[in-house]
Amino acid sequence: MATSKVTVQPSPVNAAMPPGRQADLVLVERCKAGDLTAFEELYRAHSGRLFSVACRMLGNTADAEDLLQDIFLAAHRKLDSFRGDSALGTWLYRLATNQCLDYLRSRTARSNQLTGALDDEPGLADASSRGLGERVVTRMDLERAVAQLPEGCRAAFVLHDVEGLEHREVADVLGIAEGTSKSQVHKARLRLRTLLGR
Amino acid sequence: MKTNMECARYLEAIHELADGTLGPIRRAELQLHLDDCDACRALADDLVRLRSLTASLDRPVPPNRVWLQIAGRLRHEGRVTAPVTVTGRVGRQAALLAIAAGLVIAVGASLMLLVPGFRASRQTPSPAGAVVGTPSQGNAATTEAVQSVETEFRLAEQHYQNAIAKLEQAAKSEEGAFDAQTAAMLQKNLQVIDHAIAESRAALRTEPQSAPARDSLFDALKRKVVMLQDTIALMNEMRKGDSAGAAQLIEGIKKS
Repeated sequence: MATSKVTVQPSPVNAAMPPGRQADLVLVERCKAGDLTAFEELYRAHSGRLFSVACRMLGNTADAEDLLQDIFLAAHRKLDSFRGDSALGTWLYRLATNQCLDYLRSRTARSNQLTGALDDEPGLADASSRGLGERVVTRMDLERAVAQLPEGCRAAFVLHDVEGLEHREVADVLGIAEGTSKSQVHKARLRLRTLLGR
Repeated sequence: MKTNMECARYLEAIHELADGTLGPIRRAELQLHLDDCDACRALADDLVRLRSLTASLDRPVPPNRVWLQIAGRLRHEGRVTAPVTVTGRVGRQAALLAIAAGLVIAVGASLMLLVPGFRASRQTPSPAGAVVGTPSQGNAATTEAVQSVETEFRLAEQHYQNAIAKLEQAAKSEEGAFDAQTAAMLQKNLQVIDHAIAESRAALRTEPQSAPARDSLFDALKRKVVMLQDTIALMNEMRKGDSAGAAQLIEGIKKS
C-alpha cells in the first residue's frame, strides 16, 4: 500500500490569546505556507494604514508606493519572526516605520544632511511662538508642515495623532519609552504650530 | 503676566486637553491658568485646532498596481503558490481591461497548477503541511505522477494560449491607449519573452522530460504573466489619467 508523508507543523495558536491575535497567527501561518490569497488578505487589511504612514513619513506618494512594496516583501520574508507577542498590525507598523526611517536616513546621508532621529529640544521656544491666530490652515498646509518635522518626532506624531495609536503602542512600534513617545508627539505639535503660524 | 516657568507646568495638561484625555480635576486647575494667561489659552486653542485638522486628514489609498507588483515579485521568486487576484474600481470603459485582468488570473492559476507537478517530479521539498510522494510508491506511481504532470503542463499551456489570444484581442480594441514609443517598448519586451518561451519549447521538443527546460519555460511564462499584469495596470493608469503612475509603471517595465 502506498504511503504518504504528511508534514504537520505545531500550531502556534494559544487558546489563552485574544481572538484577534489568534486570527492573526492563523493568517500568518497560511501566508508562511505560501498561500498568496492569505497574503493578499493581510495586504488588504493593513496596506491602507501602512501607506498612510509611508506617505506622511516620506512626504510623497511615489516613494511611498515603492516603499510599501518593500515593506510587504520584507514582511513576507520575516513572517517566521512573527510570534504573536504583539498584534500583527503593530508588528507591521514597526516594520513599516523602520523601513521609512532607514529610507529617510539613507536619503539624508545621500544629501549630506545631519539630523538627529529624535529631537531632544524641550520645545518651550515653540510653545511661546506666535501661533496660528486667525490664520486659515488647510489640510494641505498641514501635510506640508508634517513633512518638515524632524524624522523621529514625525514618526511619533504620525503614529499617534494621524493613525490614532496609543502612546504605549507608539513606544512599542518605535522601540522607545512611553514618555519619549509623549514628548516627541508634543514636540511635533509645537513645531507644527510654529511652522503653520509663519 | 505669567512666567515661562509657570506656563511650562501646564504644557502637558494643555496637550492632554487637546487629546481629550485630561481628567476633571486637572482640567479645572488648567482652566484657572488659561483664564489668566493669554499665551497658554492661544496655545490650547491652536492645539485643539491642530488635532481637529489632523483627524480630518485623508487616508491615501495605495493603487492596485502596488499589490500586483508585490504578488508578481512573490510569484517570480517562487514564494507563493496561489494566483494573484485583481481587485479595485473598474469603470465602464474598463470592461475589456477587467476581462483582460481576469484572463491573467486564469493564466496565473494555470501556471500554479504546474508548480506542485514540477516539485513532485523533481523530489524537492514541499511547503509545510503538503503531501508529497515517496520512493516507496514505486515505478507505477512515478509513471502516473509524470503523466499527471504532463497533463497539467499541457492543460496550463492551453489555458495560457487561450488567455493570450483573448488578451491580445482585448488590447487591440484599446490600441490607442499607448503612444508609439510605449507600444514599441511593450512589444519589444514581449518579443524577448516570447523568444525565451520559444527556445524553451524547442529544448523540450528535444528532451521532453528535461527538468531544466521545463523550469526555463515555466520562468518565461511567469515573466509573461508579470508583463501582462504590468500592461493591464498601465492601461488602467492611462485610462484614469494618472500620468505619474503610468510613468512609474513604464519605468518598472523598462527595467524588467
